[in-house]
Amino acid sequence: MPPSADLLQGTLDMLILRAIALQPEHGWAIAQRIQQVSNNVLQIGQGSLYPALHRLEYKGWIRAQWGTSENNRKARFYSLTAAGRKQLDTELANWDRLMGAINLVLERI
Amino acid sequence: MLREWLSRFRFFLTGKKRVDVDEELQFHLDRAIEANLAAGMSAAEAQRQAGIAFGSRERAREQCREQVPRWLLESLLRDLRYGLRGLGRNPGFATVAVLTLALGIGANTTIFSLLDQALMRALPVRDPGQLVVLSFAGSNPGHHHSEGGDTPGRIHEFSYPMYRNLRDKNTVFHGLIAVAPKSVGVTWNNRAEPVPAEMVSGNYFEALGVRPALGRLLVAGDETTAGADAVAVLSFDYWKNHLAQAPVAGKTLLVNGTPFTIVGVAAPGFHSVVWGHAPALFVPITMQHVVEPEWSLLDDAQSYWIDLVGRVAPGLTPAQATSSLNALWLSLRAAEFPLLRDQSAKARKEFLNQAHITLDAGARGFSPMRESVRMPLTIVMGMVLLVAGMAVVNVASLLLVRAASRAREFSVRFALGATSGQVLRQLIAEGMLLGLAGAAIGLLLAPQALRLLIHWMSGQSAGEPAFSATLDWRVLVFTMIATLVASLLFSLAPAMQFRNPDLAQSLKQQSGTGAGGSLKFRRTCVALQIGCSLMLIVAAGLFVRTIQNLRHVNPGFETDHLLSFSLDPQLAGYSPAETAAVEQRALDAVSGLPGVHAVGATNDPDLADDETTGDVKVTGYTPKPDEIVDIELPWVSDHYLQALGVPLVAGRYFQASDTATAQKVAIVNESFARHFFANNGAALGHHVSRPNRPGSDAMIVGVVRDVKHASVREPAISTNYTLFAQAERPTGLTYYVRTWQPPDVAANSIRAAIANLDAKLIVSDLVPMKEQIDEDLTSERTIALLAAAFGVLATLLAGIGLYGILAYSIAQRTREIGIRMALGARRSTVIRLIVREVMLLAGGTIVVTIPLAVLATRAVRTQLFGVSTADPTTYGAAILVICLVAAFAGWMPARRAAGVDPARALRTD
Repeated sequence: MPPSADLLQGTLDMLILRAIALQPEHGWAIAQRIQQVSNNVLQIGQGSLYPALHRLEYKGWIRAQWGTSENNRKARFYSLTAAGRKQLDTELANWDRLMGAINLVLERI
Repeated sequence: MLREWLSRFRFFLTGKKRVDVDEELQFHLDRAIEANLAAGMSAAEAQRQAGIAFGSRERAREQCREQVPRWLLESLLRDLRYGLRGLGRNPGFATVAVLTLALGIGANTTIFSLLDQALMRALPVRDPGQLVVLSFAGSNPGHHHSEGGDTPGRIHEFSYPMYRNLRDKNTVFHGLIAVAPKSVGVTWNNRAEPVPAEMVSGNYFEALGVRPALGRLLVAGDETTAGADAVAVLSFDYWKNHLAQAPVAGKTLLVNGTPFTIVGVAAPGFHSVVWGHAPALFVPITMQHVVEPEWSLLDDAQSYWIDLVGRVAPGLTPAQATSSLNALWLSLRAAEFPLLRDQSAKARKEFLNQAHITLDAGARGFSPMRESVRMPLTIVMGMVLLVAGMAVVNVASLLLVRAASRAREFSVRFALGATSGQVLRQLIAEGMLLGLAGAAIGLLLAPQALRLLIHWMSGQSAGEPAFSATLDWRVLVFTMIATLVASLLFSLAPAMQFRNPDLAQSLKQQSGTGAGGSLKFRRTCVALQIGCSLMLIVAAGLFVRTIQNLRHVNPGFETDHLLSFSLDPQLAGYSPAETAAVEQRALDAVSGLPGVHAVGATNDPDLADDETTGDVKVTGYTPKPDEIVDIELPWVSDHYLQALGVPLVAGRYFQASDTATAQKVAIVNESFARHFFANNGAALGHHVSRPNRPGSDAMIVGVVRDVKHASVREPAISTNYTLFAQAERPTGLTYYVRTWQPPDVAANSIRAAIANLDAKLIVSDLVPMKEQIDEDLTSERTIALLAAAFGVLATLLAGIGLYGILAYSIAQRTREIGIRMALGARRSTVIRLIVREVMLLAGGTIVVTIPLAVLATRAVRTQLFGVSTADPTTYGAAILVICLVAAFAGWMPARRAAGVDPARALRTD
């Protein structure tokens, strides 16, 4: 299932970081969460989800730990590190700036 | 940022466990199935839909894997492993390719190392970037002792009084040092030998920042007054090779018979501030009179003989330093001018108004040798780059041929989902493997080749050669870059064929005649190889003819059965007054030896690139205004001209009755007579003298035929021979012995005869004249040898490359040939067809290359002798060689193809 809307480059990372900002989550839950919250507009296939998760882990922004899922299965839970939290703040700030700018252009032209 | 890299590094080392990734993916799939079940699907359907949504599990694994920081390295290793296996399957190809590259890279490394040492490497001293070499424009009336290396219009030598003033009064330098080279006789443990030495200022080592390996080095306090500083510092190499690293500090050795105390040994690796010099010992410049007993230079402001190198104080720009130093120097020159003999306005203008001092960057040191090796080295480097270019084209064409036969393999890989990037990476990895293997072998060979070459170039000459056989980091970097560039080039060649291919097309094309693009590429390869090798063969031909011509130049006297050696009694401690008598005794002793036909001696050795020139006044001749009469002024023995066999054309030879106290006599050559007088006979009876040196006045008693003097390359110049016995001061002599005995026998008896006179006397450079001439031609011989070697190599490479490409393309045309033969073509027709195609290609390339070669060889014409850059014989021979190689390379596979059974050829594929 391809994502029904092309995600902007780098946006997936931000969405993932945001999705686990409150509590640790496993991959499936992250994908479901994003899909539901976006009213099924953003569907993230495993082909981009797991490489992205691993990439973020290698960068040291998120940390992975084995835990037990809600249906009592062993699952890998991802949580933000301090560096990841800082990165998320930066990315959100950038995003706001960019959106603001784009909106301004769209409104005034 | 740093934390991010640390984290990456941690995962680079540890990675992720495969089972972890699998389990994680499995969990995801299971949850998808659960979700589907919850949505009301049947168990089978839930599984099916989840599987479809998930896609290939292997691909998912791979995508995760690609994120691991070390994935790039892993995939590179995998590519290399695969490449290695591929090469292993094809050992013949791999060997030829690696050896070709090794030759190309090894030759390049060797020559570049020489180039680097001569033209690029900085001196092994502290902060070489601060050093500057001083030179000046303006007149220099008086004596000028130069080793060469002068920039046109500028002189590098200064007088000692000027040096003292500059050193003590300047505000520019943190150390201004003086150096002058000279060969001396050293006696150590009762063994005497001639060694190169340097007279240096006391601050020499201090200013350069050279440390002692033993004892101490010279200090400013070692430069006091003339003759008072009998101390010496040895070079590390001399101490190691000649003195067996004995504890020499405080010991005494004799320099030209005078005892000197050895105070220490310089650090290993340091030779001199002058590149190309490797003095065995350094003595204070104040000991000049011991080093050169016949001269007294220290107090003479009109003797220009020492090279100056300064260390510019930090913070000064070159312009500031130059202007500040010029002001000082001009004021010193102004104070010096009233003491000069010629006080005319013109002399003043030349001495002061047109005078200017220049500071050149001196990190690489001053060198009289550098300019003379620059051109030969550049030429050889150009040739070796052509060879390397050919090696690359060669390997590229071999790889191309190999890749073409791998079309099916690549098609399958594309079909299995490989991206063109992956295939490209694979090809580059294979290329790099070949390149690295070639570079490794090349680097192993280079020091050996270098040693051989240096040994060959330094020949008979005494002392340490200017070049060393070790490769420094600069050379290694050069080789690495050259290897990478070359590997990229030749690995991309087959990639061009496979980038973005039409799969179906390439699968169908197995037995076709090859795609248009690759055919063109192959033709380009063939043309490049023929072109490069033609250039190299032409260069080889021109340089070989040059050396042949030089060897066959008639210098005007017979060089067979002629031995030469040098003897300077002052190096054995004889006083100037005794010198001439000892030299005469040596002449008598040698002439009495069995087999010796004649003996002569001169202070101005023949055909050794030495000149002793000066201006003269000739009675009966009025010089034209501003005419500078610079002529050759050898001092010879009375039998010298007869011993060499220079024919007399008027008057008489010197005689035994022309003694030191008799009327001073001179013999001039025909050029001299022609320049100053109407005819040869008219010269007789006139007097020749040096300006302002009445003691030099001599009467012309004979005229001899012109002979070549400085070198076989240069025409004879006006020459005035006088007798060393009648000379104003003593001098070391070069003896010429005409003997019928074999050279080694004669050499032994000569050494014995001289030792019999006095064991301390040093006979040096005892060689047959022919060898001496060869040594003078070292750079030409080296170029000719290397050019010939590169020519042969180029022909070989072209042959291999052509054969490889042609064999492949003819094999591809088996079906076409089969059809032709089935339709009635004969074997000979088929062979002719193929050979004609090759020859047409070769002919076209030759037509294009010849004008390029003529242009390229114009750049080297200063190095040629007696042969035009468009020499028809050379070009003809080169074209013939190329055509033969091309014809042979085409004929071999053509013959095989024509031997094919048409029926079978038609059935292939």
